[in-house]
Amino acid sequence: MLLTSLLLIPFAGTLALLLWPGGPSPSRLRLITIAILVLQLGMSVAVALAFDTAQAGMQLQERHAWLPGIGLDYALGVDGLSLPLVLINGALTLVSAVITRDIEKRPRIYFAMLLLISGAVNGAFLSENLLLFFLFYELELIPLWLLVSVWGGVNRAYAATKFLIFTAASGMLILGAFLGLALLTGSVDFSLTPVLSDRLAMGGQLWLLGALLIGFGIKIPLVPLHNWLPDTHTQASTPVSVLLAGVLLKLGTYGMLRFGLQLFPEAWAKLAPVLAIWAAISVLYGSLAAIAQTDMKRMVAYSSVGHMGYVLLAAASDTPVSLLGAVFQMVSHGLISALLFLLVGIVYRKTGTRDLAVLRGLLNLERGLPFTGSLMIVAVMASAGLPGMAGFISEFLVFRGSIAEYPVATLLSMVGSGLTAVYFLLLVNRAFFGRLAITPPSADAVADARLDVQLAPVAPRETVPAVALAAAVVVLGLVPSTLGRLSEVATTALASITAIPGGLG
Amino acid sequence: MPLPIQLAWMLPLYGFSGMVLSLPWAAGWFKRNGPRPAAYLNLLVTLLAVGHSSVILKQVWTLGPQHFEFPWFQAADLNLRIGFDLSLTNLAALELVTTMSLVCQVFALGYMDKEWSLARFYALVGFFEGAMSGVVLSSNLFMSYFLLEMLTLSTYLLVGFWYAQPLVVTAARDAFLTKRVGDVLLLMGVVALSAWAGSMEFNDLYAWAGNAREQHLITPLAGTLLGLGLIAGPMGKCAQFPMHLWLDEAMEGPNPASILRNSVVVTCGAIVLMKLMPIVALSPLATDVLLAVGTISAVGGALVALAQVDIKRAFSYSTTSSLGLVFIAIALQLPGIALLLLFAHGLARALQFMGVGSIIATSNCQDLTELGGLGTRMPATTMAFLLGSAGLLGLVPLGSFWCMGLMVENLRSDEPLFALVFLLTNLLATANVTRVFRSVFLGPVLPKTKRAPEANWLMALPMVSLSVLVVLLPWIMQRIDTVPGIAAFPLPVGLAVAGSGLVGLLIGSVVHLDEFWSRSTKSSLRVLQDLLAYDFYTPEIYQRTVVLLVASLARLTRWFDVTVIKGLADGVGRLSLTTAEGLKLSISGQLQSYVLTVIVAIVLLLGSLQLLPGAG
Repeated sequence: MLLTSLLLIPFAGTLALLLWPGGPSPSRLRLITIAILVLQLGMSVAVALAFDTAQAGMQLQERHAWLPGIGLDYALGVDGLSLPLVLINGALTLVSAVITRDIEKRPRIYFAMLLLISGAVNGAFLSENLLLFFLFYELELIPLWLLVSVWGGVNRAYAATKFLIFTAASGMLILGAFLGLALLTGSVDFSLTPVLSDRLAMGGQLWLLGALLIGFGIKIPLVPLHNWLPDTHTQASTPVSVLLAGVLLKLGTYGMLRFGLQLFPEAWAKLAPVLAIWAAISVLYGSLAAIAQTDMKRMVAYSSVGHMGYVLLAAASDTPVSLLGAVFQMVSHGLISALLFLLVGIVYRKTGTRDLAVLRGLLNLERGLPFTGSLMIVAVMASAGLPGMAGFISEFLVFRGSIAEYPVATLLSMVGSGLTAVYFLLLVNRAFFGRLAITPPSADAVADARLDVQLAPVAPRETVPAVALAAAVVVLGLVPSTLGRLSEVATTALASITAIPGGLG
Repeated sequence: MPLPIQLAWMLPLYGFSGMVLSLPWAAGWFKRNGPRPAAYLNLLVTLLAVGHSSVILKQVWTLGPQHFEFPWFQAADLNLRIGFDLSLTNLAALELVTTMSLVCQVFALGYMDKEWSLARFYALVGFFEGAMSGVVLSSNLFMSYFLLEMLTLSTYLLVGFWYAQPLVVTAARDAFLTKRVGDVLLLMGVVALSAWAGSMEFNDLYAWAGNAREQHLITPLAGTLLGLGLIAGPMGKCAQFPMHLWLDEAMEGPNPASILRNSVVVTCGAIVLMKLMPIVALSPLATDVLLAVGTISAVGGALVALAQVDIKRAFSYSTTSSLGLVFIAIALQLPGIALLLLFAHGLARALQFMGVGSIIATSNCQDLTELGGLGTRMPATTMAFLLGSAGLLGLVPLGSFWCMGLMVENLRSDEPLFALVFLLTNLLATANVTRVFRSVFLGPVLPKTKRAPEANWLMALPMVSLSVLVVLLPWIMQRIDTVPGIAAFPLPVGLAVAGSGLVGLLIGSVVHLDEFWSRSTKSSLRVLQDLLAYDFYTPEIYQRTVVLLVASLARLTRWFDVTVIKGLADGVGRLSLTTAEGLKLSISGQLQSYVLTVIVAIVLLLGSLQLLPGAG
């Protein structure tokens, strides 16, 4: 029942918000949503407490036949791979709800969609049945598309449509692969067992795995399938960007590990060298593209492309250490990118621009955003992999686990890590250092030295979540064994599947 | 085991706790009494650190070296630990770090008297001190790397302390990026070593390196790459050519931080290199590179220093030069003398920079051509400057003289070339100090030095205490005793060292100084002067190579992203939208139709499964 409650709470919340009698004010709706999400996060923590870290395999399982005819079971379970992501989902949806403000258009639907996404993502992470996973994976698309297309920026229609086309294609490929698996094996058993692929010839396996990789590769996103991400981020509002970067991209990496690596271990081993190179390309491409951006949000979006490449590298290497690194990277990227988007959102709302050619000196003590700026320094340093914060231990595990398998790809990815420092340092140096300015520089130096720029202080509803995220990033960086204990057994088991093909069967 | 040793894990925490304690003032939550309480709290914890480390030093002296470690993170075959090596040399280095931090913090009270963000400064210095204390005590490579990068971060923040100034912005950027390049290369070495050797403890790594050499565990290419990666980190930290330019620019930061940077931060980098040297020695090429880097830095740094007109920069290049000498000593496997050099350099350089700081605080001027006649007006500063500089030069028998004697003695038969490098560097450094002394302390009084009182007591006190230490340095070095007696060289060698200093003194005394024409009027000399003054045009060379390369690649990627990738994506999108037109889907009313389509598609697909054999 514990796992079902993680679906029930947000879905019931969605219904409750939609049917709430009278016309509750936006702030009232926000408070209700926050209450529901606190409950959901509490239940996620309860799941973590009930979870036995020493035990491999799925735990707290629930299984009910739903449509046995087509192999769709309501089967839930949690292991060391999905549990951290469920926790991150609970935490970051709460953050998005807390930082939401100024929703004038249809607040009821906005908050309902937020809850719907959270529930769908929980469902996807907890599903033990391929079709169930797919249902939840698709279910999360529509509310997100709505969130972008209704509450987004000026070009929201373009961005939302692009998002929809890309991710719908992703869904089709994944469904195709799942159905193909059923067709080729001649069974409609969609439960999550690696035995299935044993019955397949290698050619068939490679096709199915290829479809899955492209499908999830769109979601992650990997170069060259990443084009939807920067556009969607720049048009989405801050809370939606936090969710998208922090949680939804993880569906791609999670799916890749769960349904790619775990279901097709033999084919995976065949493709792994290609995947490692793909990862290195993704990392370098994302980092270089980020250097050339002048829009802060686009820069952060491209950094996501680069940083998700580490997860692919870790998955390709498929060693116990690298897979643990993949989990760490998913969690730390979730926290760090959420923090980055949150801070960029604050800057945008206070100054009206995100243009690095315009913004200057925001650290100014009296008239600027010194607190936001300080947190920004923490966030970019964490993202650049400075020790003492979550990014470092994640990258270290990924690199340490991969270097023996794919030395060249690993070293190239480390160059990408160095490039992260370049673009994020440029971001801080341009926007936060120097003399305060929020308008483009002109020829008149006297007019530029304006003293009338006075940015309003940032409200606690934004600083408190930002501080909480920063604290989480530092705690995870200083005491990584908390997450390590949660996931190690699962990632070690996952790595051993490929060592002994079909080992878990 | 006595309690202080059991509590040795607290040693790095003193500095870090100072940072945490300063935060309320740095963040502006406590405004009532100004930022001073944060400074006092930091001084207090640093005082505790000095006391604690002194007690431990005494106990280790009698009990012998101690080692202990705690698990930090473990997964599969990876075991990362926090380890402390309480050896006499490590503790002596710790004593240096904590004492320097203490005197600098007192000095900063005077120097940054009216600074608004004093609390932030102290928070950063606390962070700095904590990281350095950890680096010198660390018994494993992972922890050393971890803390070295924290040093990179705190250097960035300290250099960027006055972030509103344009020069500071570029200085902080260059400091971070240059060090970061070194750090990433070092990380490559660390990761590779971790995978090959398993354990990260230095002792285990040495054992592994021994095995690797005997049993050819790694290819020569891998060994060379590993060695080069490992030396890159310390090169960045110690501001060695070609990663030296940040130290010069970092002089834009507050002076008390410059004191720490030029004395103990570079020492930390060199100590890490010393610990890595047995592994670097696997590769002859890496060792040769290390020697070349040291030599170029020693001579090049000393030459560039000669042409600087900014008083801080003139000596920051000297730091590069001195550390170049240390690198040579380390590369030639003379760690004992390298350590002595580091001690002598750390103390004396700090004193010299304090003198410089006192001058800047009084005159608000860093330009040598605008300073003059301070000798009679600031006697304590003059004495500190002279003693500090003398401690750095092989001229009078203070610290560095003995180290240089030992080096020359050790090298003169096998590596006479490097012995010459030491003498030449000493000559150039002496000439540099002499010319700076002439233009600052002698000569006519200039407008900017007309009203120049002696520094206030908060600056004078640390200067005088450090002066005493520098005078006592030969005796301290004798006590540290990393080599059999610091005077283990014959008289002619001593004379040669002192002679090179004397020649430098003469050159520095006769060279023509002109307040008005700081650039030479002879065109041939001017070319040379410019070459040195602009640091061999290193910044331009970087602009036109590395920076240009990365920028062009980034632009190329953006172009590709915008034209090819986005073009393709938009093309596909238009295609599917046109198709959608046929289904009467438009952007405004898309939702229901989309949901419907998806549901219909899913139902159809799932329904088709029913037809499969074995279904149901």
